[in-house]
Amino acid sequence: MKIEQQSTAKAMTIRYVTYSMIALLLAVMDIVVLDFVSVGGLTPDLLLILAVWVTLSEGRMTGLLFAFGCGLLYDFITMDIVGSNALAKLLVGLVAGWFYRENGVNQNLGSYRFLIVVFLSSLVHNLVYFFLYIKYTEISFVPFFLKYGVAISLYTTVIAIIPMLYRIPRNRIIR
Amino acid sequence: MHRITDFIVRFKEYFTFLLLVVISLWFISLGDVSRLGGFRTVVIGTVGWLQDMFSWIPNTAVLRSENKALRELNLQLSAEVTQLRTSVIENKNLRDMLSLKARTELPMSAAEIVGKTYIEMRNYFTLNKGSAEGVSDGMAVRSDAGLIGHIVGASDHYSLVELIINRDTKLAAYIPRVGCNGILSWEGGEEFVLKNIPKSFGIKTGDTVLTSHFSNKYPPKIPIGWVSESRELTGDIFSTIYVKPFVNFSALEQVFVIHTVPDPERMKLINYIDEKIKTRKGVRK
Repeated sequence: MKIEQQSTAKAMTIRYVTYSMIALLLAVMDIVVLDFVSVGGLTPDLLLILAVWVTLSEGRMTGLLFAFGCGLLYDFITMDIVGSNALAKLLVGLVAGWFYRENGVNQNLGSYRFLIVVFLSSLVHNLVYFFLYIKYTEISFVPFFLKYGVAISLYTTVIAIIPMLYRIPRNRIIR
Repeated sequence: MHRITDFIVRFKEYFTFLLLVVISLWFISLGDVSRLGGFRTVVIGTVGWLQDMFSWIPNTAVLRSENKALRELNLQLSAEVTQLRTSVIENKNLRDMLSLKARTELPMSAAEIVGKTYIEMRNYFTLNKGSAEGVSDGMAVRSDAGLIGHIVGASDHYSLVELIINRDTKLAAYIPRVGCNGILSWEGGEEFVLKNIPKSFGIKTGDTVLTSHFSNKYPPKIPIGWVSESRELTGDIFSTIYVKPFVNFSALEQVFVIHTVPDPERMKLINYIDEKIKTRKGVRK
């Protein structure tokens, strides 16, 4: 029993380390190569997709902490107002957490449901982030959000198809 | 106490969420990132290093937009360069004109060439100054470089200049270095021909040619050109001198009208004699 617990804890640690490494890699990708896939100056939020993925895989609590960490990391590397992305990504963890089902991880990640969660989380994320972003400017929030927030959410959702396809069981694809 | 603990454990995600929100807001309240000190500097350095490391990858979208921006900038700069070049030339011309006006005693007024006409080897300029500005027939016209011609007609606000590069041109010229006078005529091309200069004067290439005080059309000492060639034919006592004008007629834009007309009494006498000679010639025919 103890050995089983130990191996479970070890596997969990490996998973978390892997998630952290991926987050770091995506953050680096974000600042280095994401410009190459920018459409009209908009880029997909890769860390958000990862945060949703982790939340739907590991549960609410882990999701919240991971999303917050991702946001903080993003704040630092993008030289943004520290805390703004952390707060926005934290909401991603919260929203994605509502869709978490302990026995339905595969159904959540390997189906269109994943895309819906990504899109909704992204909308909430952008809502909060753009509110903080334009707080001290004279930019009108609604048109700005509708123009950029929705567009980024859509673009992020499109990119989220890639991990969704990865999670779809092979036999379903072949069939 | 136990119930409170149960409550917290039951809603631990929400409590965690609230705690993290508070932390986020605290970070946001910091505002000035410099308060985060060295860590931020390290991040900026690392990000810069990473971006620099991958900067060799060409981004076609960025290149395209950069290309477009550069092309637009190029066009704008090219237009500015042209404008600057024109300004430099214009500036030089105006400075030359100002210095000329300062060193000459003749009453002059500046005029702009608004038209150029070439009819049967007769070359004319139209000036934007006419009788309303005191311009009248017979007045000499020059630029800072030298003689251009004389006014042959004037309306209220325009006047016509007959250039010295004209088949009817025959003007008295003077070479100050040797102090001799001759008749300058234009036979087409870029040069004038100065005749009746005895070989003994020893005219050299580069000698300056001015208008002579014998001229009945032009005030004396106006530069005309410089000797480009002196041809001496065997058995002839005169040299044929070729004179290149100082003025570049094709590039002129501004000129000066010299507000002096030839002595009317003298002109009247010359015209009278001319008519008389023509009549005699007609009678002989």
